[in-house]
Amino acid sequence: MSFAQWAASPGPGVGGHEGRIYRACNIGKRFGPVTVLRDVDATLRAGRVLTIMGENGAGKSTLFKILAGQLRPTSGHIELDGQELSLGAPSAAHAHGIYLVPQEPMLMPELSVAEMMFVGHMPTSGRFLKRVDWRAIRSRARAVLDALELDIGIDRPAKTLSIAQLQLVECAKALLHECRVILFDEPTSPLTAHEVETLFGIMRRLAGDGYTLSFISHRTEEVMEISDDIVVLRDGRMVGAAERGAFDRASLLSLMVGRELRTVSRRTKSHVTQELALSVKGLTHEPSFRDVDFSLRRGEILGLAGLIGAGRTEIAETIFGLRQVDRGTVKLGNTDITGVPSHDLIRRGVAYVPEDRGRHGAVLPMTITENITSSRMERVRQTAGLMSRGHETEIGAKAVRDFRIRCAGLDQTLLELSGGNQQKVVFAKWISTEPRLVILDEPTRGVDVGAKEEIYELIDRMAASGTAVVVISSESEELVRLCDRVLCIYEGRIVAELAGEEITPQSVTASYVGGSQARDAEFEKAGA
Amino acid sequence: MGTKDDIERVLRRRGREVALVGVTLALVVVLGILQPRFVHLENLRFMLLGSVVLSLVALGQTFVIAMRGIDLSVAPLLGLSAMVCGLLAQSQGLPLWIAFALSLGIGVVLGAFNGLLVSALSIPPIVVTLGTYSIYSGFIFIYSQGTQVFSIPAAYGHLGNGYLVPWLPIPIPVLVLLVVLALCSFLLGYTRFGRALLAVGNNDAAAYNAGIPVGGIRIAVYALSGMLASFAGLMFLCYTGSATVTAGTGDHIELQSIAVALVGGTPINGGRGNLIGTVLGSLFLSVVLTALVFLRVPAIWYSAGEGLMILATVQAGLRRHRARDAEAVA
Repeated sequence: MSFAQWAASPGPGVGGHEGRIYRACNIGKRFGPVTVLRDVDATLRAGRVLTIMGENGAGKSTLFKILAGQLRPTSGHIELDGQELSLGAPSAAHAHGIYLVPQEPMLMPELSVAEMMFVGHMPTSGRFLKRVDWRAIRSRARAVLDALELDIGIDRPAKTLSIAQLQLVECAKALLHECRVILFDEPTSPLTAHEVETLFGIMRRLAGDGYTLSFISHRTEEVMEISDDIVVLRDGRMVGAAERGAFDRASLLSLMVGRELRTVSRRTKSHVTQELALSVKGLTHEPSFRDVDFSLRRGEILGLAGLIGAGRTEIAETIFGLRQVDRGTVKLGNTDITGVPSHDLIRRGVAYVPEDRGRHGAVLPMTITENITSSRMERVRQTAGLMSRGHETEIGAKAVRDFRIRCAGLDQTLLELSGGNQQKVVFAKWISTEPRLVILDEPTRGVDVGAKEEIYELIDRMAASGTAVVVISSESEELVRLCDRVLCIYEGRIVAELAGEEITPQSVTASYVGGSQARDAEFEKAGA
Repeated sequence: MGTKDDIERVLRRRGREVALVGVTLALVVVLGILQPRFVHLENLRFMLLGSVVLSLVALGQTFVIAMRGIDLSVAPLLGLSAMVCGLLAQSQGLPLWIAFALSLGIGVVLGAFNGLLVSALSIPPIVVTLGTYSIYSGFIFIYSQGTQVFSIPAAYGHLGNGYLVPWLPIPIPVLVLLVVLALCSFLLGYTRFGRALLAVGNNDAAAYNAGIPVGGIRIAVYALSGMLASFAGLMFLCYTGSATVTAGTGDHIELQSIAVALVGGTPINGGRGNLIGTVLGSLFLSVVLTALVFLRVPAIWYSAGEGLMILATVQAGLRRHRARDAEAVA
């Protein structure tokens, strides 16, 4: 939309389309070499809730972004009431009455609740001087919030709202703009059980009024409670689609995790020694996690399973000295390292490879060699305080051979490498320091399938050399493939420990899905 | 009872303005007791007039900062407009109304150029306007060829120092400022353009998702800032009767305009804009600078004193604001 068109447009609200049918037909989506969605079909019907279910990375959010006009599909198309749609921008979706409520709504911190609801679509009054009609804004905002029975002051600054309230305000916005198709992107994960009930109540009422709703979740219990229709995605493919009655919780779980595929490829050999590498006692960092106890031996690979936001990354960052310790102790071997800053820990042989490689794992604009030697500059031969470029290149070349890093040359920057090869450079950098303890946060995020296997081998090699390894992963298959032991974290606590043969994709997923059931039961008890 | 609640509400919503008026008045009263000449009508008029040019520039700056941008090029834009209009008026008696149009035009075009670089090339605004600061300063030298303006037609002087009608003891520049302030307030508070620029300042990605043409808004806001800076240049010419190559840049009016916008309650991270606060901030700064003269503070201390005053006021405002947010959460 051009600036002039925008300035002249009367406002939002095409409205008046009762009972819309919104379809995704044969949708495929690729990001560069990575295929995220393959031939996905989904039909959203008026008065019904369609749930898109799947594990982290199954392609659920990508599908929603395509439906909401934030991404264009690589193949396939979308249809509204039988008409093919081409959505170039989110505003185009709004104009067709399609609204996406994001998982963590984008905040306009300084605006009032009422104004935030009208951003981009301010009603105006006056014939000559078109002025923003604040009275209409306030009364319409109030009316929509009242209709949803939401007790939120319309003059409050947006930055004072909770995530749950922001989501509900987003939902109110959809009504305000007379959108009849409302998509909820995994709305329940940041919410408490009570807030989930409020949201579901509103969703049921909207469905009763003939709205077309869709919802993303990976919690089977919720899905069975709210859905009319269910589509299950796994690795970007549709593995199940039917009415709710056709599923039960167990079948959803096995579809989501993929039974046949995942029974293979367990690690054959363990390298666990008797020597204690790390012991954590009563570690607490409010409000992320509390009373975390575990220990780790040299050569052991320990997995941390759980939902995004369960506190796994926070535990890792706290051990690595990036966050403050509220309570508890951390010991490396026999040395107390509680609260020791990270640069000191690196010198003592601890390495942390974060999920976001760009943040403090790899320096993307620097070359492969520079990245590899950056962890241990002092290992490069020096003459009169000057580093030997030749020796540095030798180290880099050896790493590229050892770790099978695919590149055009050592002086390529990491920006030019694929995600998998970037990750191999990061590994090479840390392994070359011969660490005693390595913490890997989502080591295969953004890595294609082939490179994943190579990374698993590298992790195995690290363990074989006596390094203690902690792997944080949201992919249960990965944990099964790698770990000697898995700790399941739910809302900042260890809720289960699995070892050896007990580690299966089903048991891992069930343990943290089970965590949510335990919490729901607790809530019901408290409520009753 | 009712009035007490009203007072509380005004204090909560307009606390910054009330505080600035209070501090400024207190300063005037104290200085008036120490130095009776300070409250002499002529000095009060001087301080008021002295704040007009800065206010005009800072109003434009407030729009830019509220959109989470920054505009350093306002200083040379002021100087360029004063120089172009001044030289034409001095040598060919350029009519005042053409000078008006000319100064506004210069500002809109060069300001929009800033906005174009920011939005089309995604260069951070501080870098863009640092570059155009030098470019526009260069234009002043190129245009003036080293000459300067030392005499202007009477109509210009009247606009800069005179009175509209004999019975109204308010100088014309102050009236002009009040009109501009009213227009700007309407623009920011009651037009879709104003609300859209605040949305961009809050969260440009979310603003884009809501269908706001973010690039167009950016260009328009920088054009507006350029226009106000350039118009301030014309007022500067009329008020002082002169223009040199260092008008604007010499006083670091770009930094002063940012400072008074912050003092007036516009956060450096954008999302909100307080235009009345900006004007009161300019007046406050004018009073402080004059007070330093009256207190016989050596001139070498002015700059340091000005800086301290700015930091102290911004800090006081931040603390109050944070306390209020904490209250709203609870």
